[in-house]
Amino acid sequence: MTSSSCWITSRTSPQVPDSTDRGHPGLRSPRAGAALIGTLVRFGRELRSAGLAVGSGDLTSYAAALAQLDPSDLGDVYWAGRTVLVTRRDDIAVYDRVFRGFFLGASDPFTAMLVMNAGGPTATSAAELVIPATDLTPDEQQGEQAVLGLMASGAETLRHKSFAACTPSELVAVRRIMARIRLTPPRRRTRRTAPARDGTTLDLRRMIRQSMRAHGEPVELYWRARKARSRPVILILDVSGSMADYSRNLLQFAYSAKRAAAKVEVFCFGTRLTRITRELDHRRPDDALAHAASTVFDWEGGTRIGSSLDSFVRDWGRRGLCRGGIVVICSDGLDRGDPAVLAAAMERLARLSYRIVWMNPHKGGDLAFRPSTLGMMVAEPHIDLLLSGHDLSSLEELASLLPSLN
Amino acid sequence: MDRPDTVADLTAALRRGGYLADRGLATALFVAIGLHRPVLLEGEVGVGKTEVAKVLAAIFGRQLIRLQCYEGIDTSQALYEWDYARQMLHIRALSEQQIADPDAVDKLFGPKFLLERPLLEAVRAGERAVLLIDEVDRADDEFEAFLLEVLSDFQLSIPEIGTIKADSPPLVVLTSNRTRELHDALKRRCLYHWIGYPAAEREVEIVLLKEPGVGEALTRKVVFAVQRLRELDLAKPPGVAETIDWARALSFLGADDLDVAAAGETLGAVVKERDDLELVLDNLADITAGA
Repeated sequence: MTSSSCWITSRTSPQVPDSTDRGHPGLRSPRAGAALIGTLVRFGRELRSAGLAVGSGDLTSYAAALAQLDPSDLGDVYWAGRTVLVTRRDDIAVYDRVFRGFFLGASDPFTAMLVMNAGGPTATSAAELVIPATDLTPDEQQGEQAVLGLMASGAETLRHKSFAACTPSELVAVRRIMARIRLTPPRRRTRRTAPARDGTTLDLRRMIRQSMRAHGEPVELYWRARKARSRPVILILDVSGSMADYSRNLLQFAYSAKRAAAKVEVFCFGTRLTRITRELDHRRPDDALAHAASTVFDWEGGTRIGSSLDSFVRDWGRRGLCRGGIVVICSDGLDRGDPAVLAAAMERLARLSYRIVWMNPHKGGDLAFRPSTLGMMVAEPHIDLLLSGHDLSSLEELASLLPSLN
Repeated sequence: MDRPDTVADLTAALRRGGYLADRGLATALFVAIGLHRPVLLEGEVGVGKTEVAKVLAAIFGRQLIRLQCYEGIDTSQALYEWDYARQMLHIRALSEQQIADPDAVDKLFGPKFLLERPLLEAVRAGERAVLLIDEVDRADDEFEAFLLEVLSDFQLSIPEIGTIKADSPPLVVLTSNRTRELHDALKRRCLYHWIGYPAAEREVEIVLLKEPGVGEALTRKVVFAVQRLRELDLAKPPGVAETIDWARALSFLGADDLDVAAAGETLGAVVKERDDLELVLDNLADITAGA
């Protein structure tokens, strides 16, 4: 639908209605208004430093929203901010924390006044402010930064050298080669159509235009056919101790793939699962992985493949993230959890996704490799393609086999 | 009702319309109405996201215009389409001379042959309408980009006719089940509210409001059981819609208490996945034990 941009010819800024006719009496006094704005701006700054994307336009909307409400009621201050400044569920916890710190641990006089008013006689009904209890989010665990163990260092030998055995300088070379591998996931037909030489539906719009020349006689048939589009690729990487070296390289691979236009989602797991797709947008792969490792890994717990895949299926798979997609799992299959959980999760995953590829570095170059760990044996019936992923040539193999997975 | 004066007014009006909104939701809607901003509602399945728009339309006496999104939706389904069959007939009916007339094409692509689709209809209706853009996460990102343009100034251009602009924008409610993350740019145009599962007391109120025929004692047991189900590790936890369905099913069958037998027979109203069903059947006595 490339033509969609031409429908709208002019752009105007969104209307901000005049609030003077409806403004709350509390805001009529200019001095109180200015103090409120000052407070809101400081609050916005706090939110920004906590990682929320709050622009000055958002603050303007926030102030306009409060002008509709009662700014002396802390509940209104809370909810107006939450509805205007928070744009995704994961940010609610951060907002709550900053709000609590800023308004309930009030230091400046105007804020203190707001808090005093919150339960006072001027407040409207149901004024008590209940900030919903929130779970611990990754943001709150940001403090600690676990450092992953650093790995020890002619192109053809590199190709078949296991990542774990590479020296740092060799790894740099590996990555340079990796950046050149192009991932071309198999394609699927979408429901969108485009003009085509022959197709399934008539391009009536074009036919009407053309038939005017022939006095309404449809002389020629014009067709539209369904467009094709790459299937999404979902990488689920094991970042536990034994797997970290391999996963890093696969992540670098994913990073290169992501820039090559295909839709790629990336998740990491140790004992828990976390999504790092968004972080890859603005972090280097190593930083993203190190950050992810600090949030997904309880060093005590060992690897929980089953429960991690289960939470992937529950939180992301069911909502359609991997529907019609290629799921690539990179893990050695050493699961500390209940094999039944892994089996159930794999079964569901197989139903939700289009194909499952499992990369097990322990497979190595061994063609007759049979999975020996319990986890791998349980997962095997649901795997469409088992690769090693331990060296560059096996990643090239993945890239070359991917288009044929259709 | 024209426009609510306070959040409490709006809450009361929604309640009269059969919808119990908590303070957060009511505030979001109130601000959306006041600032003419679209409101994006996200939440689990069956917590009443779509219902909000319907009730808003009813209490303000506005027309509800619904755009159901799906993969591959494009402008001809969302915006407008030409009535090709009529155009074709019209051309055939024209004489030689009429066809040579330079205005013939203009007439062919005039209002007479235009089929309005929901977005155009909503822009034309302006503030007389509530526009519900349902399950926007199901549409693909190309459509999202297009939607962004419409929602930013409620103005559409049809090349053959010209620009159509809403005098005052309609009230827009978007819903999403979060099957994918929406683009930030679209979210920035909207107010955002997350609707979670209600607390037990609130859920009892909701069921009683929706299904007054069901006794309060039964309602309480059903709600308690559903809350237990949500604590269980189900793949698809039941929403409020399922609670209402279950209560309705039980009362339809004449049950006045939720015991293991009655629950087992009607479980299909709340649990809709085989694996979940097995898990629930194992714990049925516990679930129906009551508060």
